Amino acid sequence: MAIETSNECMSVSQAKALLKHGVECRGVSDDPPQFQVGDVVRAKVMHPITYTRLPRYVRGKIGTITKVHGVYIFPDTMGQRLGTKPQYVYSVRFAAQELWGPDAASKDVLHIDLFDDHLEAT
Amino acid sequence: MAHTHRPESDIALRVKAIESLLVEKGIVDPATLDTIIDAYEHRIGPHNGARIVAKAWVDADYKQRLLADGTSAIAELDLTGFSSEHMVVVENTPQVHNLIVCTLCSCYPWAILGLPPTWYKSFAYRSRAVIEPRKVLQEFGLDIPDDVEIRVWDSNADLRYLVLPERPAGTAGLSEAALADLVTRNAMIGTAQVPPPEPPSTLAA
Repeated sequence: MAIETSNECMSVSQAKALLKHGVECRGVSDDPPQFQVGDVVRAKVMHPITYTRLPRYVRGKIGTITKVHGVYIFPDTMGQRLGTKPQYVYSVRFAAQELWGPDAASKDVLHIDLFDDHLEAT
Repeated sequence: MAHTHRPESDIALRVKAIESLLVEKGIVDPATLDTIIDAYEHRIGPHNGARIVAKAWVDADYKQRLLADGTSAIAELDLTGFSSEHMVVVENTPQVHNLIVCTLCSCYPWAILGLPPTWYKSFAYRSRAVIEPRKVLQEFGLDIPDDVEIRVWDSNADLRYLVLPERPAGTAGLSEAALADLVTRNAMIGTAQVPPPEPPSTLAA
């Protein structure tokens, strides 16, 4: 079901509340996280024509879960107004050489926050 | 055909026209706009982030809480807010240099650092910061030795990132407020280090 958003004019007090408290993007899920810190994962190879927070440069690459951030609503479906689909978000660490090849510095790494639906076990 | 930019006055006129229409149609309340503009012009900016950094430099317990749970440690100072709802603070050390980017758009901790600088939003920074961070940092005047690990943080989800820069040498006697004055916006994004305080002039007054 599509999510409706309000077209009402934002008031001064609503703007103040927004600046102070921000936007609630946490969600609730009864499912346990699919991955734990230390798990080796692969970012899925997919090319949706719709909105996604999974950038191309990590697709198919292998990384390690370094933190479980908790449950957040899923922008990939929210962006299409298809539902919040709350799920876990993880900090995933990729070696720079895994992403960019042998010319990257061997010590360097990249961390990116990815959702359950972006990841698969290796 | 070469890409051309409209003169600034054209853009200003266009924005003005759009704003007038939105106000006329009752979609935007000008008082609301003024509230938001006033907040970012006068209250919200890198000085908020600098307060967090300076406190972490002088208070080891606070620093520990900040690195363990950035959101609640920043809330202690009442500095959370829009686009800084969930904060992660990453620490620079002699072994590790952190750099923040958002490759998908330009996510940035607005409540902590204010509005993002133009370069942070540019395609060049957003793509090159992940592919060749060392070269990008060199262009910012920062040479990171080969034995230092660079950690790039792509803040593409709902977490926002703040770099805790290294405290510069020669600041042992400084107050928390004086330390905060040294901290720059770029140091909290990771494209600079915090410079030591200016040495006192050797010329006698």
